[in-house]
Amino acid sequence: MGYFDVPEINYTRYSNRQLAAVPLAVLAVALLVLTGSFLMTGTPVQLGMDFAGGSELTVQTTSSEEEIANAFDEEPESVQAVTAPETDNQYIVQFTSTDLSSLTEQAEQNLEQDGDADIVQLESTVSESFGAQTQQTALLGIAVAFLGMSVLAFLLFRTFVPSIAIVASAFSDLVIPLAFMSITGISLSLGTVAALLMLIGYSVDSDILLNNHILRRGGSFYESTNRAMETGVTMTVTSMAAMLVMGISAWLFGVELLASIGIILFVGLAADLMNTYMLNLSLLRWYKFEGIRS
Amino acid sequence: MMGPVSFIKEYWRILLLVTFVAGALLALFIPGGIMADDSLVEDNEINDNPTNLEYGLGLDGGTRISAPVVGMTAEDIDAGAVNEEDGSVDRERLTEIENTLYDNDEFELETGDARVSVDDSGTVHAEIFDPDVTEAQFAAALGEAGVDVDPDDIRNGVTEETRNQIIETIDSRINAAGLSGGSVYDSARLGGEYYIVTEVPDMDPDELRELLSERGIVEVVAYHPDENGTQQNETVLTGADIATVDPPQPDEQGPGYVVPVAVDSNAAPGYQDRMNELGFTGEGVQQCSLRGDGETIDFDHEGEQYCLLTVVDGEVVDAHSMGPSLASNMADGSWANDPSFQMGAQTQPQAQSLSVNLQSGAMPATLDFSQDETYSLSPALADQFKLYSLLIGVLSVLTVSGMVFLRYRDIRVASPMIVTAMAEVVILLGFAALIRMPLDLSHVAGFIAVVGTGVDDLIIIADEVMDDGDVNSKRVFESRFRKAFWIIGAAAATTIIAMSPLAVLGLGDLRGFAIITILGVLIGVLITRPAYGDILQRLMTDK
Repeated sequence: MGYFDVPEINYTRYSNRQLAAVPLAVLAVALLVLTGSFLMTGTPVQLGMDFAGGSELTVQTTSSEEEIANAFDEEPESVQAVTAPETDNQYIVQFTSTDLSSLTEQAEQNLEQDGDADIVQLESTVSESFGAQTQQTALLGIAVAFLGMSVLAFLLFRTFVPSIAIVASAFSDLVIPLAFMSITGISLSLGTVAALLMLIGYSVDSDILLNNHILRRGGSFYESTNRAMETGVTMTVTSMAAMLVMGISAWLFGVELLASIGIILFVGLAADLMNTYMLNLSLLRWYKFEGIRS
Repeated sequence: MMGPVSFIKEYWRILLLVTFVAGALLALFIPGGIMADDSLVEDNEINDNPTNLEYGLGLDGGTRISAPVVGMTAEDIDAGAVNEEDGSVDRERLTEIENTLYDNDEFELETGDARVSVDDSGTVHAEIFDPDVTEAQFAAALGEAGVDVDPDDIRNGVTEETRNQIIETIDSRINAAGLSGGSVYDSARLGGEYYIVTEVPDMDPDELRELLSERGIVEVVAYHPDENGTQQNETVLTGADIATVDPPQPDEQGPGYVVPVAVDSNAAPGYQDRMNELGFTGEGVQQCSLRGDGETIDFDHEGEQYCLLTVVDGEVVDAHSMGPSLASNMADGSWANDPSFQMGAQTQPQAQSLSVNLQSGAMPATLDFSQDETYSLSPALADQFKLYSLLIGVLSVLTVSGMVFLRYRDIRVASPMIVTAMAEVVILLGFAALIRMPLDLSHVAGFIAVVGTGVDDLIIIADEVMDDGDVNSKRVFESRFRKAFWIIGAAAATTIIAMSPLAVLGLGDLRGFAIITILGVLIGVLITRPAYGDILQRLMTDK
């Protein structure tokens, strides 16, 4: 049976510069992706219905996906089949229009009813101005959360380098999943914003653990590092596994909120593994061996 | 053997956990709940839900519409209507300003689209509920009334009093439509704007929108000839003057329907006098030949007409004449002692909606549906979502358990870890049942996040405690446990800080997620994680 063990990494083989280079390069690429997308589309990440406005229907029908796409005057943004146990013929259809009543009417007229189930199972619309406001609120929320986390990091460790290491890796933990969203076309929704905020809280855990072991405990630097890693990697990998399972199952079931939270947290936590044990660690090692004396 | 006191001292952390879990189970499963709220439990609501958990829109089905109110407000205007010394209010001055707003050179308003009011702190506010009026026009019209206001000081939105009245009106309309379990509230958005949020379990978006968009301003208008024989309109009663309303019934004297109403005793004498002055009780008795087509009234007529028009939102829905018996009561002045009469409507649905409008009062302003958010879920899909949430939750917990077993290989460490994490969820669910928090998908995400963070912290405790070989004394254990707790506390603080903006800001669905996560972290740090430490200590030190 394959047990899960945290490998011990021989950090002495790599210089601080080598260690930091990888996460910094990934961060740079991520920022580049976001900038590129911003220049091309006007937003760093594709905005979902919650922020850009639009409508969504979940329909229960025996019509095919193609027939669904043609059933509406306005071509749908996307049609996704729901694949859940005991559920057939269910589709999630998204539109940019916000005229919900004419969309439902078209659905009810042009789609084949599946038994005696209602054709339209879920309908929702967000107007553009409502979305724009939500967007501002969400940005404010993320900014406040990040700022609060940074202040707390400084209060906890009261020294510059270890605290800034936490803030830097948390920043990268946010930017990398955003770039991932931009590339894979996952749009920013309330669910993904929740996931990003959750990441701010989650990702800092392993950083605090590492800093705490290295700065506040006895033992050599590498002993402390290995001990922190054993705990920290277990934590992060366990969370990643839970989030992956939640993300994939929710995506199959068509429960978008849970799907986006799960997938974004998974990517963010993976980024966090890299950032904590390469970026944060290199900064701490520099601080411990060189920074403290200067 | 140990005495009860030392027993409690020794095991208090575990005892605390057991107490909370027991309390949560009681809150979840005792029929009716611990804090029984009879107003909510109706006989027809006995359902197949085995727990006391309440489900929100996202897990139970229903429709929610959020929309802002159309209108703008000149706040704290210097109207000269409130006496600064004794705080007395000059109502006439307020009415005068209001009348100027209706009758000014800048714009025309429908009835009910202007309002000048005083709030509890004695500040006067003026509001306009017409989207076509600009700030500059509003300021100019106030200027005509002798109130100096800078157009830049006029803000979008309406006063709290108006919002509350809208909420009350919608609430009573939902009740009048026979729908239970609906709720109406306002929700602040960034920038100080408020949205009115209406949630109803059994209505589709079109029906709800119709219910919300009707203004419901009812007037009785006297249509009568003046001295020169020209027909004139005069509003003689408004919806606010009606004290009690009976259900609609067929008109005994002809086609159509009537809604029996009683006029408020303060308004009755004035109405009676006006009817007498206008000639309705003399030459005008039964002098109305206007007929309708079931919708509106045809105003093509010859000769003089004395009609009482039922007007809803500016549309004439019916015309009635004054009956002889009512007229004679009014003429001798006895009607005002028992001021009841019947308001006419052409069709049953018209009468029904007239009755509802009279009962729930008018909406002081309309909602702006161009800025709305609508969400509607069928009960069937909601049931699926419930099942999926449960499945996703179970799968996540299984995954976490599997990882923990693979990592520790020691059932003594891993199984209490999973039991403790589950206890956290049970306590949270119990709490949700206790305060009757309606659960939505976002809460489910919160529960899963709680399992995730909870296990993280338990891993920290386990690793820290088992660090460097066996734990052989209680003192070693305590000191290691305290060290672990510093990290857990710090991690919990960051999670709470990261989540608190979501819990405070009105970001729709995400509030529940944030609240559950924060609560979960608190319960974890204060109750379950210390208890896990204790359990681990018993098991590791083999006491």
